[in-house]
Amino acid sequence: MRRIHAPADALYAAVVGLLGLIALAILVGPVLVVLAVSFTSEPSLRFPPQGFSLRWYAALIDPAQSGHIHEAALNSVTVALRAAGVATLVSGAAALWLRTRSGPAGRAVDLAFMSPLVLPMLSFGLAALILLTTIRVRPTLFWLSAGHLVVVAPYVLRTTAASLSQLGQPLLDSSASLGASRLYTFRRITLPIIAPGLAAGAFLAFMASMDNVPVSLFLSSARTDMLPIRLWGMIESSLDVRVAAASGVLVVSTTLLLLAMNRLVNLSRRISR
Amino acid sequence: MADGGAVTEAGATHGVSLEVDAVSHEFGAYRALDDVSLRVEPGEVMALLGPSGCGKTTLLRVIAGFLAQSRGAVSVGGVRVDRLPPGRRNIGIVFQNYALFPHLTAAQNVGYGLAARGAARAEIARRTRQFLEVVRMEAYAERLPRELSGGQQQRIALARALCVSPGVLLLDEPFAALDKNLRLDMQIEIKRLQRRFGLTAILVTHDQEEAMSVADRVAVMRGGRIEQLGPPADVYDRPETLFVNNFIGSTNLLPGAVAADGSVRLAAGATVAPPRPAPAGARVVVSVRPEDVTLHDAPAPDRFPARCRLSLPLGAVTVLDLEAEGGAAVKVVRLRSAEGPTLDGPLWCGVREGARVSMFAEDS
Ligand SMILES: Nc1ncnc2c1ncn2[C@@H]1O[C@H](COP(=O)(O)OP(=O)(O)O)[C@@H](O)[C@H]1O
Ligand SMILES: [Mg+2]
Repeated sequence: MRRIHAPADALYAAVVGLLGLIALAILVGPVLVVLAVSFTSEPSLRFPPQGFSLRWYAALIDPAQSGHIHEAALNSVTVALRAAGVATLVSGAAALWLRTRSGPAGRAVDLAFMSPLVLPMLSFGLAALILLTTIRVRPTLFWLSAGHLVVVAPYVLRTTAASLSQLGQPLLDSSASLGASRLYTFRRITLPIIAPGLAAGAFLAFMASMDNVPVSLFLSSARTDMLPIRLWGMIESSLDVRVAAASGVLVVSTTLLLLAMNRLVNLSRRISR
Repeated sequence: MADGGAVTEAGATHGVSLEVDAVSHEFGAYRALDDVSLRVEPGEVMALLGPSGCGKTTLLRVIAGFLAQSRGAVSVGGVRVDRLPPGRRNIGIVFQNYALFPHLTAAQNVGYGLAARGAARAEIARRTRQFLEVVRMEAYAERLPRELSGGQQQRIALARALCVSPGVLLLDEPFAALDKNLRLDMQIEIKRLQRRFGLTAILVTHDQEEAMSVADRVAVMRGGRIEQLGPPADVYDRPETLFVNNFIGSTNLLPGAVAADGSVRLAAGATVAPPRPAPAGARVVVSVRPEDVTLHDAPAPDRFPARCRLSLPLGAVTVLDLEAEGGAAVKVVRLRSAEGPTLDGPLWCGVREGARVSMFAEDS
């Protein structure tokens, strides 16, 4: 629809547009700076970058130079996959359970699941470390995954709960009334409706685990090095430009993952019809 | 598929009886249904009529099996069903907002019940096509619910419920979300389907005109109880309580008192014969429907004076708003073509001969 814009409308549009641009610059700007720096030909993290080269990417890929980084990256991905996978199952189930429970029990469970989002993660990391020392187990990838699970679970709970708001009781009642079993209803009604929420939650949980520092700081050791910790260590000791290159790889792969997930969600929508 | 309804060649079922026997239900301490009993005969349409919050949906949910009643029994076709899950009660339901599955196409929605019951693919396809045709929605088979209009969604919801051949159909405020013209179309459509399939149906509504036009019998509910149950004309002409009287159709309530000779002396200034004997001195309210008030240009003992405040031409009829002595409003409906006194001068109102007049104790 075409409208004639009054001057006030134009001003409003200009202000909102400007604010949007500023927000975009603040959010995306640093990422672009890091990307630019990663292509420098000098051994320094200075902006603007001097010259253009792929030498830092080459160094990053080289197993002889960067074997430790590769190991840390593999650990991080493993932990993130496990934490996000289990969080999707547990928080998805919790969201379903919470759907019909608005009483004190429901609120207590909801609060318990959401608390990692507001409680200081450092305290949680410390508490987890003390717990592990007390029960005399060595922090392994398993315990790292468990720690990450706790802090990424809220994401899946929130996104699933949001998609569950589309699932009214009448839909479930209709299905039951038409002769469907609970399992059939779950498979054909509940799951397709919450699938986008689960997928979005799993993605967020994966990303949150990938760059979690506070929990990893306490629970990782030399044998279970995690990517963010390792990168921080490199910056601290030598201002290594490989860190910028690693950031570049992370930014690009996150973007690709985001696009892929978008496609997947749309795809699953199309398949389920 | 049809456990109780016999399926004929055309896919039509025959409705079965539905019996609700002394059903009560409490939400915590609040009694939403209080000793409700009714019986719907095979092929009959009953309307549940009542103000919002009187327990209509609750009763429907108990019948459908989504809610377990605290006391009482529900039978379909003479068989107790209140221990059976919703899907095995031989009851279909159409929800107020249709509750179509948003991620399934119209055709998948219609075929859902058969698929859930494990019918063969070919059978599902055949019946789906058949019921899309029944509701004249063949052209929209591949659309998602959000791509359909309200009326079209309702047709799909109907087809979905009918596709599994239920013996009883429950409709919860099926027309509430539709605009006025569409509402009439859908009333006709539902009546047509109900006749064609010989369905037993309960229609929940808070619109008395809708109840009157679609139903064979009307149950008026109030505060979880059935206040009166009978054919629409009976409930309209012989309301048993003031509540039913006010709820069904519009009416004029004229306060008065019973005189020594048994006649009723209205506060507005006329003496009328009571519809039933009442003890002398009793304070009563006499209810006269707007179409039963006659207008005259001369006084008489059985007429009271009034003045016309407003006249609203409403198509074939004119609605008059009169003011009786003491300021009481009197509503009158008369045919536009009807002869009568001019409205500018003083008027006297009487009660049409043969009119159904109801009388209630003043404090009821
Ligand atoms: N799940 C529930 N919990 C508590 N009270 C309820 C519940 N469902 C309905 N009620 C109450 O029961 C009464 C009847 O509700 P309902 O059957 O939905 O009325 P209607 O359909 O006639 O408008 C209302 O007062 C409502 O507040
Ligand atoms: Mg209701």
